[in-house]
This record gives sequence, structure tokens and C-alpha cells, in this order.
Amino acid sequence: MIDRRHLFDRRHFLSHSVNGLGGVALASLLGRDGLLADELKRESAPGKFPVRPEIDPARPYAPRLSHHPAKAKQVLMIFCSGAISQVDTWDYKPELIKRHGQPMPGGDKLITFQGAQGNLMKSPWEFKPRGQSGKMVTDLIPQLGELADEMCFLHGLTGKTNTHGPGENFMCTGFTLDGFPSAGAWTTYALGSEAEDLPAYVAIPDVRGTPQSSVNCWGPGFLPAAFQGTSFNAAKPVRNIAIPNSIGETTDAATRAFLQRQNQRHLQNHPEDSQLAARIASYELAARMQMSIPELSDLSREPDSVLKAYGASDTGNKILDLRAAYGRNCILARRLIERGVRFVQLFNGAYQTGGEGVSNWDGHKKIKEQYDIHGPVLDQPTAALLKDLKTRGLLNDTLVVFCSEFGRMPTFQKGASGRDHNPKGFTAWMAGAGVKAPFTYGATDDFSYQAVEGVTTVYDFYATILHLLGLDHERLSFYHNGIERRLTDVHGKVIREVLE
Amino acid sequence: MDPKSFLFMLALSTAIAQANKAVDFEMQIQPLLEKNCTKCHGEKKKKGGLRLDRPAAILKGGDSGEPLFVAGKRKESHLHKVVSREDPDEAMPPKGKDALSPEEVELIGRWIDEGAKLPGGNEATVLTTDHWSFQPIAKEHKHGAVDAFLNEALNAKKLTANAMADRHTLMRRLYLTILGLPPAPEEMEAFLSDPSSKAWDDLVDRVLASPHYGERLARHWLDLVRFAESNGFETNRERPSAWRFRDYIIQSFNNDKPFDRLIKEHLAGDALGADLGTSFLVAGPYDIVKSPDPNLTLMQRQDELADMINTTGTAFLGLTIGCARCHNHKFDPISQRDYYSMQAVFAGVRFGERAIKNPPSEEQKNQLAGLRSSLARVERELADLRSMAAKSDEGTKQLRPPVTAKFNREKFPPQETKFVRFTIRKTNSVEPCLDELEVFTPAGENVAINTKGTIPTASGSYSGNPIHQLAHINDGKFGNSWSWISNTPGTGWVQLELPKPATVERIEWARDREGRFRDRLAIDYSIELSIDGKTWTAVASSRDRQPYGGQADPAAFLAKLAPPAASRARDLMSREKTLLIKISELENGVKAWVANFGAPGATHRLYRGDPMAKREEVSPDALGVIGSLGLDTQTPEQDRRLALANWIANKGNPLTARVIVNRLWQYVFGTGIVDTPSDFGTNGTRPTHPELLDWLAADFMAHGWSIKYTLRLLLTSEAFQRSSESHSFSARFDADSRFLWRFPPRRLEAEVIRDSILSVAGTLDLKMGGPGFHLFDVDRENVVHYHAKEKTGPTEWRRMIYLYKIRQERDAVFGVFDCPDGNQVIPKRTRSTTPLQALSLFNSQFTMQQAEKFAERVKDDTDPVVRVYQLLYQRKPDPAELLDAKEFSSQHGLIALCRAMLNTNEFLFIF
Repeated sequence: MIDRRHLFDRRHFLSHSVNGLGGVALASLLGRDGLLADELKRESAPGKFPVRPEIDPARPYAPRLSHHPAKAKQVLMIFCSGAISQVDTWDYKPELIKRHGQPMPGGDKLITFQGAQGNLMKSPWEFKPRGQSGKMVTDLIPQLGELADEMCFLHGLTGKTNTHGPGENFMCTGFTLDGFPSAGAWTTYALGSEAEDLPAYVAIPDVRGTPQSSVNCWGPGFLPAAFQGTSFNAAKPVRNIAIPNSIGETTDAATRAFLQRQNQRHLQNHPEDSQLAARIASYELAARMQMSIPELSDLSREPDSVLKAYGASDTGNKILDLRAAYGRNCILARRLIERGVRFVQLFNGAYQTGGEGVSNWDGHKKIKEQYDIHGPVLDQPTAALLKDLKTRGLLNDTLVVFCSEFGRMPTFQKGASGRDHNPKGFTAWMAGAGVKAPFTYGATDDFSYQAVEGVTTVYDFYATILHLLGLDHERLSFYHNGIERRLTDVHGKVIREVLE
Repeated sequence: MDPKSFLFMLALSTAIAQANKAVDFEMQIQPLLEKNCTKCHGEKKKKGGLRLDRPAAILKGGDSGEPLFVAGKRKESHLHKVVSREDPDEAMPPKGKDALSPEEVELIGRWIDEGAKLPGGNEATVLTTDHWSFQPIAKEHKHGAVDAFLNEALNAKKLTANAMADRHTLMRRLYLTILGLPPAPEEMEAFLSDPSSKAWDDLVDRVLASPHYGERLARHWLDLVRFAESNGFETNRERPSAWRFRDYIIQSFNNDKPFDRLIKEHLAGDALGADLGTSFLVAGPYDIVKSPDPNLTLMQRQDELADMINTTGTAFLGLTIGCARCHNHKFDPISQRDYYSMQAVFAGVRFGERAIKNPPSEEQKNQLAGLRSSLARVERELADLRSMAAKSDEGTKQLRPPVTAKFNREKFPPQETKFVRFTIRKTNSVEPCLDELEVFTPAGENVAINTKGTIPTASGSYSGNPIHQLAHINDGKFGNSWSWISNTPGTGWVQLELPKPATVERIEWARDREGRFRDRLAIDYSIELSIDGKTWTAVASSRDRQPYGGQADPAAFLAKLAPPAASRARDLMSREKTLLIKISELENGVKAWVANFGAPGATHRLYRGDPMAKREEVSPDALGVIGSLGLDTQTPEQDRRLALANWIANKGNPLTARVIVNRLWQYVFGTGIVDTPSDFGTNGTRPTHPELLDWLAADFMAHGWSIKYTLRLLLTSEAFQRSSESHSFSARFDADSRFLWRFPPRRLEAEVIRDSILSVAGTLDLKMGGPGFHLFDVDRENVVHYHAKEKTGPTEWRRMIYLYKIRQERDAVFGVFDCPDGNQVIPKRTRSTTPLQALSLFNSQFTMQQAEKFAERVKDDTDPVVRVYQLLYQRKPDPAELLDAKEFSSQHGLIALCRAMLNTNEFLFIF
């Protein structure tokens, strides 16, 4: 059911659009008070100088030029919070199956996050060849497995920490510490959006709650607040988007108009102050969002066949209910991509409920029991999303990225039936615009413990994503506390091998 | 073979033949370096900042901060390591085909073993710099007033200064800048009609004397020292006593504590009777999740120390010392060794809460004596009441075991019932939790379960968390994740209504049958049955159990007293408790989140910042380019910090005073004289008015490092009093008004907006100090979750400086106004304009509620519309405004008018 009040025609208000915005002062107004000559001297990498996006404060989400022609216009990041096990999904190791139950060579000396290792354990789910390419994927995620031909696997990904919070920070911001801008913030800071009437960057948290690093995963860090991810999902709308309950729609529209008049009268006394005009413009954009977001979030007009394909209409037990909720978020993600939102971050797994492994991928103690819930919740909706994007032609311009904060051990923890954290070698995949598929890059050792081939850092991962977006990761920087900060810190190289 | 190589080979073979003779650098090593290395590490290329073509440069090493050799020890020498290709990733020259021959490597090895003698000696050269900020602050000054310096620059730029702003604009500007609150209309009236020629100076004095000045300045300072009241990182637990530092800062500013003293208290307050100051060291994020993997834990410790070094360097020196953690600073004269020397200063500092103690004053001693005698009286009377209770307590029967978090069984004679009520009067902590309430028939059937149609009701349920809702009380699932939690601390009740009456004889309940949680346990409870829901029979309670925790419940005796005596006893017990807390605070100090100090241990320089790559041990020290603390590795912990504090808070330090006066300038004018306020290094921007900056710094120190003194200088300057009108001519040359031809207008910060709204709505509670208010409901699991409160009330209507500041989580309404979260040092906020800000300020429950209060406040006024303008802008509406506003409010009401007006630019900017 649509709340009709959001659809109220505000054209008469919008027609009072602000003119005369522009000029040098504006270019830097958004978050920064002016470029001085000194600033141009700062290097963002040896011999390289930053490319500063020209941001019009009246239109912060207007599309902006990339550094070079882009292969991908938009990004959809699917993030499995809690560290999904590569051993039980994508990383097939015959040797592990062969040596199931035996000690891992050198494993007795290893201390991982929660302590000592037990023996090597093959996945409780069987690996089978999938798609034309015959990529081996487990029965935990059969429907996603069937789409292996669309995917470009990075099996040699490595992290810097084995703790969730810092790990999620690292995967989302390029730094293990709190307080750095997320990849989506960097992207929209550089590029704006293709959908000016919507937030440029949307984070869709799991209905069960937020990931471990919470809002840090989509935070703006020290970038202007305009570029933080706006978080909402199919169950929980954008905050403050609706007209307050006590206000009728006529009064609401009249109030905007009155505000506009009061601000315009005031502007006449300060005709050359662009900050004031920018604030007036921000109310116009807000009014447009107030119409576009509820329309966007309204899934009631999706045909039954779509709801069914995403698993969004079947409910009745815990798994089905969770799958339906996540499926609705997947539909929302597709709709956001369809409307041109630059960066969409879709989370599977949360930390609010029960903690370790219960509502996320952190399977330390009872991986079979827990993943038997998480697998089906993830599988069908995500597969449907990927297929849907493809059918609608959206994969031509959209880069889909599937990742997690790190991976898990090929052993079970001593005395438990689950796997400990492992940042030494884990899997992510990409699909869609600009990447080779089916393709596999990098590999772990015989057991899926450590990356040995095509070793990929998170810096390389983001250098590649930014490259696909038409951005040079060494020139996308922001001056903060004396340093030209980058998403890739002072590291990273584009993985040329995976480019189409 | 060309003749040159031939000669070289000849020299080499001669060298090998003369193996017994000492290796000569100029004859043997230099040619070898020239042949193999200087193409990349010479005058032209300098890869990695390294030159090998001159002895002095060889001694200095490259950007990595790693010395090329340790004289006498080839095995520990970097040069030998790379040319011998020990580690293929670090081998030099990089290409294997260019590798040095074994003879050449051996020659270098021998040269090092023999002491690596260089022509000109091996004395290390001291870093030098000609960068402006490291030069001494000028002693001679061209002018003696702010405006003289500014006007000179304006003339030079051919910019025309604006005329003075009107008094109305000025007063608003002053209040919003220095107090962060708008003036009351009456205050405005008084100022406008003040005939004195000193009216402005007097107003500035009054404003600087206001207690709200400290609150405003503290916000700037707390941003800078990355203060927040939770740990950050994944668990993000609260720091309930951290607010004391916030209060300490507010008081320090209000008392105009000399800034040099403030610095010393921040770094070594424990040595100066000001423990609270040292909260500064540990105010940053703190990762409590440690791994058994020692590498990672060592790295976490390195990160903690880096936070202290960075913040100290940034806040007081305006330098990015943290950049020298992995290699020498790329731009500034800060070596990697400097970084680790400073780490040695902080090496004994640890995070945590502890009692802080200051020597008691005479007044406190007297107070203590009074409290002790009151306590003695209370305790005597209580003892009498206890013995009275004991007399009535003879022949007590055997008690049942105490309650447990994991499982409890209540057995009673079979009884028919339709309702079961479980009432909790006390818990071992916070709101009570029950994971499942089971009611059994003699046949062992659980009639409480929801599948049978039993309906639960409760006194209230924990908001915001789906796993703790009432439906879980009888859903057949055990454990914390399917449990009910009450919404009131310590108390609550649950009632079950069976579909039809049943005979029951046993009830089982627990906090968490999975055994993971032991908090929230009901320790004083009763269970009652009822057929009609009106008359109840108690069948079980905690009264016949042994007290929880093995300790006698000190309040148990109350039950055995007659009501008046019990009431008296309760009163005495509460007084006893208060007295004990007061006495303990006076005797032991209050608890606060401040630095803890331990043995510093040895500090080593770490190659590439890697804790597993320890190099030479370093002594605690400051930056070599400015001077040395002259301490050795055995210096006691506190002395290290005190020495650094004295070195920073020192008139001879060229940075400290410049950096703080520049910040004050920024707080007043929006942008500093140096607009990179925390980078005075070569990568920062140069001052627009270098001579003015030096004069201000010198003058500030000459006036006892008084912040109020310097602020008064700025606020009484003509520059501060100029109109903010823009002119395209001047704007073309100086768009950001850095030369102050006008006063640069700016949007208010998040906190000032919120405080101003509360202030004009008449709801602002100006109570100062004490624990902060919350804008989040807190869900304390292992990982703490914060849920934005949907509604706020008077408790939350205090100034935002008193907001309990949670890392990562930004307030639902004002977080979008560039409000930092305390994870990073923020010397200067971004100021963005976004549609989400518009949505928050226009639609939020907060705005609506305040608009209603605002309307309520003015509705009985003779002319409410005029009053709205006066409260918001401290002026009357002009005729056009009045006409429009009256028409609008008559159609849509005063609330709608207030809502609109709270969103206007005139209200939200400093002009």
C-alpha cells in the first residue's frame, strides 16, 4: 500500500528553482572552503597529483567525469558479514577431501583467532561442477553455483587482521581502524550518481541488524557527510523521509513554500552568498527524494513472479522468513541499480541477534547447523538478483562484487565443529561490467589455507574496482590531517588479468 | 670487456689478494656502489629517498628510516642484507641478473665488520630544515594590533574592507561564535540601547565570562582530541566515567587555565595533581578484542601508541608525526627514529578506568569527618533494627538453593489454574530476562507453550530488539536469542493465560538455559496462580531460597519487621549507601576513564613499522630537529611524559603557540591563518599572514598563555566586526574571505543548531556537567548495539556537549550535519549541504516536537508571530514578512510556522 501523501505534486514548489548557482566559490564549497595554490602541490602517490572532483553544492549527486572511460557505471556489493567460509563455498580442494581428518601440516603450531587447530575438515557440503565452465561449487549454494559462468573468482584474496570489526573496516574502507571513508563514499565523492533524486550511495543492512562494524561500513569518514551511505532496507524506510504524522499534506506543501519565500527574502540581502542558495536547493532535492524514495521502496507493484523468483513470497518457518526478508532486500537492490544509484551495498548477516554464527557467517562452533540456515537464505535471492540484473541488461554497466571480511580455516577448531577466522587466503568474486567471466584468478594452497598464486590484497581489489569505474586509485584522494588519504592507502595495483 | 671494467676487476682482484688489509671505502666500496647502485640511488633518481654517491648520504640512509649498516655487524646491516639477496623481495639491485658477485658482497661485509668507516667520520648529522614553522617565533613585530596586520595585507591586495556590521548582527555573531547559543530578545534590546562607547567591549567581556563559553570551546577541543564515550571497534562498549574529562575541559576553559598548564595536565596530569587531564592520552578508540596470535596483538598495541603519538603531534604541534611510523617522514624533518623515541615516552600508558585521587583540601577533610559521624549514627540505628528483626526470626526452616541463571524449578502441590504470574522485584543487574517460562501438569505436559494457545502478557518489553520480545517467553526455544526482557531495570512481570484451566504442579524457568549469560537474573521474585485473573495465590518465591551469590541479602531482614520499622530501615539503608559512596569518593577519588601507567619496557625502532622487525633500542625523546629531552632508556615512566610536556609547553618551542592561536583564529573567523590547522609541515598550506601569526603567538605567551586574552583581541578587532556582505569584486580575488575584507558567514555546526532550537523553543535545560544524556537505547551484548531513540524528552534537552558520545553511531537527526564520531582527530569540520540534512531538519520527530513547544511558548503572546521572529532572529519581522507569516499561520497554524522558521537560513548561519 502506497502512502499517497508522498505522491503529492509539489511541482509548484519545485518550479521556484534556484538560479544563479555556480562560479568558482561553489566548486569547493561542499565540505571544503577553498583550494589554495599550495594544495595543488601535494602528491597523492609518487609523481601523481590528485584529481579533485568539481562538486556543485546545489547538486552534490550530479554525475561527474571519471578519470578515464569507465567500464562500470555502478557497483553492487554483496557483503556477507561474519566471514563466509571459502572452504564450504567456492574454493575446491581435492587434497583437503583426501586428507580429511588428518592434521594439517604445521597446523599444530598455528594460533588463530580463537586458539588451537583441530584436524583438516572437508566441507560438509559436496562440491559439484556447475555451469558450462564446470566450476566446482558446493551444495550449500547450488543456485549461485549455477551462475558460476558469470563470475570472475579471486581465490587469492588476503586480509590484514583476523578480527571482525577491523576486518570489516578493512574490507569496506581500506583501513583496519575506525573513521575512514567507505568505498561507496569514495566512489560517490568522485563520481556523484546517475540518479540525482536518490541518495548516491545506499547501504541495505540485513533485517536482523547491522554488520559488526555497523555504520562504519558505509560511513563518510572525513569526506563530506553528503557521501555517507544512506541506510535503509525493505523493512525499514529511510529516516525522516515521511511527512510528520501530525502534519497534513496541504500544510506540508504550504510550509515548504513559506520556508522558500522566507529564505528568498533573506537571500535578497545576501545575493552573492552561494551557501545560502545551496541550502535552498537542498530542500528542493529533499522534496524530490521524498517522492522518489517511497516509490522506490514500494515492492507491492512487483509481479508475483518476481517475488517468487527472489524467494520473497514464501514464508512460514525461520529459514523461509529470513529468506523472504533478504529476498525483498535483493529486489530493493535491483531497483536501486535500475534507477542509477551509484553504489549499493547489500548485507547478508548481522550482529544484533545472538552473536557468533547465529545470524551471521561466523561459524566457529557449529558450522553445519548454522550454515544450513544461512546458505538457503543467501542462495536463491542472490542468484535471482544476479539473473534479474542480467535479464534486464543491467550487468552491462554494473559491477557486482561478492565479498566478506575474511575467510575461514580448512581445519575445525580444536574441540569444536566449526572453523576459525583466516585472513591468509579467501575468495571474492566479481561479475558484470568490465570483468572476465567465467574466470578464476589466484589460488590458495592445497588446503585453502593460504594464498599462493595471484595473491591479492584488499588494496589491489579496490584499485581494480576503482579502475573499472574509470578512476585512478592513486589520484582519488582527500587531504586530511596532513595526508592525501586514499581508499588504497599507499598500496594497490590494478589486477589487469581479470579485466575484460 | 671495456677498459673501465677491466680496471675495476683489477682493483677488485687486488683487493681480494690483499684480504688481510683493511677495506678502504674510497678505493674499494665507492667504485662498487657507483657500478651497481648509483644509477637509481644517485643525484638524479634518489629512489626511496636514498643516495649512495656521497658518504653523508650513505650515513643518512633512505626514506625507510633503516640505517644502511650497523658498524661491525654485517648480519644486522641492511645494506648487506639486500645485496646478499637474503630475502628475494628485498634484494638489490632488484633484477637478479644485476646481482653483485659473491666477492663484491664479501667486500661490503668486510667493510661493515671493520667498522664501516666513511671519509669525514661516522658522526650522524642532525636533521635541519628551513621550513617556516620550525623557525623561532619572531621577537620583533611590525605592528601591535590585529587590524594593523590585516589592513596592511588588504592594502597590498587592493581589497576594500566592508563597513562595520550593525549591532544586531554583531551580537548574534558573537553569541553564536563564542557561546553557541542565540541571545535572548531581551539581551539584544539591552545591548542595542546601551549608550556606552565601551558597549561592545563590555559585551565581549560578559560573553567570555559566561559559563557557556567553556561548553562551546570544549566542543572544538573534544573534536580535536578525538574524545568519545565508547571504545569503538567491534564491541564498542561504553565508558561510563569518561564524561569527567569533558567536564574537566569545560571547567579548564571557563577558568581560563593557562594553555601551557593545560598541555602539561594532558600529558602528565598525574604528576601535577590533575589526573583527569591524562584522559587525553586514552580518549581515543581502543580495541579490546585481542587475539591469541601475538603478531596481531603486538600490532594492536602499536596502533594504540600511534594514536597517542598522532594526537599529541596533531593537537599541540600541528605535525603529522604518525607519518614517520613506517619510514622517515616524506616531507617534514621527522625521522622514523623520532617517531619511536616519542613512542618510548608513551610506552607505559595503558587504557582503563581507575580511581583518581587528588590531595584532599581542608574543606574536604572537614566534610569527611562530618560524613563519618553521620554514617556512624545511621549504622547504630540500623544495627538496632536488625537485632529487632533477628528476635522474630527464630526457628527458620531449611532454605532451598539459590536461583541460577541456567535453570530453576519450582515445585508445589497440584493446583488448578488458568493464569500464571511471574513477578520480579529485583535482579542481579539491569532489566530482567527470562528465556522461557514452562508450566507443567503432573503428567509432565508443558501447558504454557504457545502452540497450545497460551497467551503471554507483560509489564513491558525491551524496545528495539526482536530477539527479546514477549513472544519468546513461551515459544519453546531456549537461550538468550529467544528470550523476553523487561523494559524496566530490576523489575517486571509476565503473565500467562492458558486456553483452559489446567492442574499444574511444577514451573521451570531460566535466564539462559544455554548457559552463556548470567546477568539480568531474577533474584527476588514470586509466582502466583489464579483461576479468574483477580484473586491470586502465591505458590513459589525466592523467599525460601538461599540468597543469590552465596551472600546474605542485606535487605532480607526487612521482611521480618513491622511496616513502619521496615520503612525506617529502608530509608536508613539508602542513606548509608549514599554516605558510603561520598566517603569513598573523598577518600579514594572518583572513578574515571584516565590513563593508567605501567613499566614502559624497552622501545625499539621497528623496520617498516613491523613489530616483528625490531631494530635498535631508542630512548624517550622529542623531535630531533627542535631539540632533545636528554633522557636515557632507564628514565622512569612519569618523567618521560613530564619532560615531553615541558618541551611542548615551552616558549622556545616554535610550534605550540603558533598552532593554538591559529586554532583560536579558526574558531572565531571560520578558517585559520594557516588553513591546515593540524599540518604546519611542508605539506600544509602557508599562513596568509605570517607576521600576524607570530605576533599573536608571542603576545599569547607574553600574556600567560591565556586563551581568553587572545580571543578578546580577536573579538574586539575591526575584522570581527565587519559586515558579512559579499562583493563580486573582492570575491573574485578572495572568494573565501581569507583576507577578511568581510566577515565570512558560515553554517552553524550540528551542536549549535540543536542547542539553538531548544533555546528558542524554550525547552533547553542549561544544567551543566555530570553524566551525559543518551540519544540511543543501549543493547549490551558482548558487542554493544545502539538503537536511535525514537522520541526524546526533557532529559535529552540539554546542550549537546552533554550528549553521551558514542563512537561510530551518529545521532539520527544531527549526525548528518558533519558531526564527527570521535574516531579521528578532527581539527576542522567539513561543512556540507545535503538533502538528508533538509529531511532531518524538516521532518524529524525532534523538529516537530520542538516546533510544538515553540508554538506553545509564544501562543499567548500579544503577537505570537512577532514573538517567533524575535526569539529566532532577535528582530521584528519587516512588513512583508509579517504579512506573509500572519497569513500562513492563520491558515496552517503556529506550529507549521515554527517548523518552517526553524529551517530558515537566517536562523542557521552566522553572518
